[in-house]
Amino acid sequence: MEQQITQAEARNNPQPKVMHMAPVLRGLVWATIGFAIFDLMTVAVDPFRGRPLVTEPSVVVGWVGALIGWLMGVGGYEGVILPLFGSPSTWVEPKNWRKYFGLSTNHKVIGLQYLVTSSSIFFIAGMDAMAIRYELMQPSMHFFTYTGQYLTAVGVHGSLMMFGVGTVVLISGLGNYFVPLMIGAKETVFSRLSGIGHWLLPAGALTLIASPLLGYWDTGWRGYEPLASQDPGGMVFYYLGIFAMTLSTIIASLNLAATIIFHRARGMTWARLPLFVWGILTVSLLNLIWQPEIEMTFVMALLDKLIPFHFFDALGSPLTYLSMFWLFGHPEVYIIVLPAFALWNEIIPVMAQKNLFARDWAIIGLIFVMMLSGLVWAHHIFTNMRNSEMFPFSFFSEMISIPTGFSFMAAIGTLWRARLRFTTPTLLVLMAIFNFVIGGLTGVYLADPPVNLQVHDTFFVIAHFHYTIIGGAIFTWVAAMYYWLPKLSGRMFNDTLGKWLALWIFIGFNGTFSQMFLLGLDGMNRWVPAYPPYLKPLNYSVSLFAFFLGAGFIANAIHIWWAWVKGPKSPENPWHARTLEWLTTSPPPDDNFDGEVEVVRGFYRYDHDEPSAYLVKNPEPAE
Amino acid sequence: MGNIVVFGILWAGLTAVGEWVFRTHRAHSFYYTISNQGSLALSAFNFLSSWLMPIFIFIALVTIFALVRFRAPNNEPKPSEVQAMRNRAFIFTWVGLSFALNIMFWLHPTSVDLEAMFTNWRKEKAQHPLIVNVTARQWEWMFNYPQYHVTQAVNAQGLDEMELPVNRPVEFFLRSYDPFHTYDVYAGVIHSFWIPAFGIKEDVIPGETRTEFLIPEHVANYHTSPLVRVQCAEVCGPGHPYMESPVSVVTAAQFAKWIKYEQKLQAAAGGS
Repeated sequence: MEQQITQAEARNNPQPKVMHMAPVLRGLVWATIGFAIFDLMTVAVDPFRGRPLVTEPSVVVGWVGALIGWLMGVGGYEGVILPLFGSPSTWVEPKNWRKYFGLSTNHKVIGLQYLVTSSSIFFIAGMDAMAIRYELMQPSMHFFTYTGQYLTAVGVHGSLMMFGVGTVVLISGLGNYFVPLMIGAKETVFSRLSGIGHWLLPAGALTLIASPLLGYWDTGWRGYEPLASQDPGGMVFYYLGIFAMTLSTIIASLNLAATIIFHRARGMTWARLPLFVWGILTVSLLNLIWQPEIEMTFVMALLDKLIPFHFFDALGSPLTYLSMFWLFGHPEVYIIVLPAFALWNEIIPVMAQKNLFARDWAIIGLIFVMMLSGLVWAHHIFTNMRNSEMFPFSFFSEMISIPTGFSFMAAIGTLWRARLRFTTPTLLVLMAIFNFVIGGLTGVYLADPPVNLQVHDTFFVIAHFHYTIIGGAIFTWVAAMYYWLPKLSGRMFNDTLGKWLALWIFIGFNGTFSQMFLLGLDGMNRWVPAYPPYLKPLNYSVSLFAFFLGAGFIANAIHIWWAWVKGPKSPENPWHARTLEWLTTSPPPDDNFDGEVEVVRGFYRYDHDEPSAYLVKNPEPAE
Repeated sequence: MGNIVVFGILWAGLTAVGEWVFRTHRAHSFYYTISNQGSLALSAFNFLSSWLMPIFIFIALVTIFALVRFRAPNNEPKPSEVQAMRNRAFIFTWVGLSFALNIMFWLHPTSVDLEAMFTNWRKEKAQHPLIVNVTARQWEWMFNYPQYHVTQAVNAQGLDEMELPVNRPVEFFLRSYDPFHTYDVYAGVIHSFWIPAFGIKEDVIPGETRTEFLIPEHVANYHTSPLVRVQCAEVCGPGHPYMESPVSVVTAAQFAKWIKYEQKLQAAAGGS
């Protein structure tokens, strides 16, 4: 008997297939090999001899090789390629901490991978911001050695923050972790694809970080043509890096949207779908529409640079690039902030133990913001338009504040006469509401053409969009991290410390960006490492607050990390929330629920004690 | 009801204080504005500020009010006593007001001001404005006065400068190309022609000629206010921060004298 089993195992698990190298390390090695092969292949077919071994075209092809090598190295070879060709997958997901450092099919592992990668990107791009603010403490160049170096820092900061943090943390990060739990699913629809999707993110971020190696690029995160086609080779890594990061977002959105549509638990009707899931669904649709659009635009811009095609320079139409960029660019800011709106109305009812006010309006608001967001883009290019063309875009830009306001209405209605528990997540959500209203109202100025023509391209605009993105989305991210920490780790943070740290970033943030409005009105334009000396005092003060803010984010990160590892054990459902993720243990088991979930009523009623859902436990396996 | 009354009084009081403080500052919302176009933008900015102030104070006050007035005495998970999910009056007012306000903003200032801009520009076009050809290249602003046959206005050191007579309409023709490298299709990039004190900027696009009208209404120059300068506002390469030029708004007599001086300089340099 025993002998037979031994034989069978020997045949199914051939020894040589056991991996000895860590997947990430193997990914790096294979990426290097892939780059070398594809790059040299390109050089070999170059009809002109004597060029350097790495040129703009060859680096593009080489990068594709490196990406293939990287994705295969981190587990794609065993997990995807072998099954594709009919061999059994030999990929074994480790049970210990190693599972976070390789291809995974578990949405919770993938969600944490995204959160950690994205936090690292937030740190790097944040340090970049600190360097920018240090430079701006003086009116002349004193830190960066060349203006192009400063402009590259600005572009890397913006691109990483938008495509590696803003678009990622609430969707691919918290969305991947919590959406399946909140709808009672045990797995996602495209688990393996989703696992591959994560590894595109560090590849894209590293590409962008490496862009100065190919030469300082000047365009900022928008890559305006025709400047981009004139710029050094760093531009190439801007296109490629963003291509990889947006592809990661498309995959995450496809997987989450499909999971929400097809993998809901019994009884989880559309009318009962939690707010955050609605947020992720609307945002996933936005991603599926607009991320491919910007990818195609970047492919065109890249070809324009390499070939060149003259799509977007003086022989073509520079304005076409601008429209194509903002056609994606404005939905992008709603991609970042819609899940935040949804989270406010997820967290407030729990903390108030009060019915969610006007739930249908809150959802209609999300859906209408999603639809209107594609109709407002041209307010970014009013300075390029004829007066008559501004009318409709001005109209829609003003109108989009109406559905945005529905989220505020639901939040205020829920807060009113509540018994609101004053916790760290409560405080941070209220701060996010406060910040976002400043970001939103200053947007009304920008929607008005005569005002826009004065404040466009100044620090007024920088302050405005940092208020929406940091003030709205990043504050909500921090709130959600505290709110879900007991679920993620089974441990609790220190509430008093959490509130002080929230106050820290609130003061740092408002000190930094409220003064930037004044800078913009006083004639400080964007993309300048050197500026007229009369602007120095205000800039100096902005920088001091910015350093304070940066330290505050690090302090929050340390606190969350400490609580995750060493915090006191948390009760199973510390906030007395009703949504499904709290029905299971913390952290949840591999297949999320130890049984079958059945939803029997909505999650936002606190006027009765009846449970919203039941977990029918699996029978104990017979010995 | 008590909460609504207290909140209403606080809101009205804070809004009144806010509006009063703003009234004392509103003339300087843009720090320094000296053109008719700038006044238009400034009045729109101030109008919006006055109307957005109560909205901002409302939301900000709600967040603070909720923390103070609706705060639970302890963190025990007890349900709130009030469990309203609907309040027709509140929803109706909120949605109705947000529609009304947005439609108002679109009519005034947006539509009214754009209409005023059109009308001003048409009127100024008919008044035989001073024409200034502005050429943006990497990285220089060049000013040409075709009515006075001044091909490139410069100071004694040969640096570009622009002078404008006060209260006379100006028509700027904006072009982006490099007159010294006309064969290079990559040389032209997008710049943005901005004089902060004039309250308007317009992008300068390679391959297109754009116009902009305005009337400078005060005698001023870079030394009286640093906002009186031409500044490139759209990133155009590593030289972008340094792409600026001094501007002087002068009296008609001074302008005539300056034009004579420019013509003399040009003749001395052997130009046409």
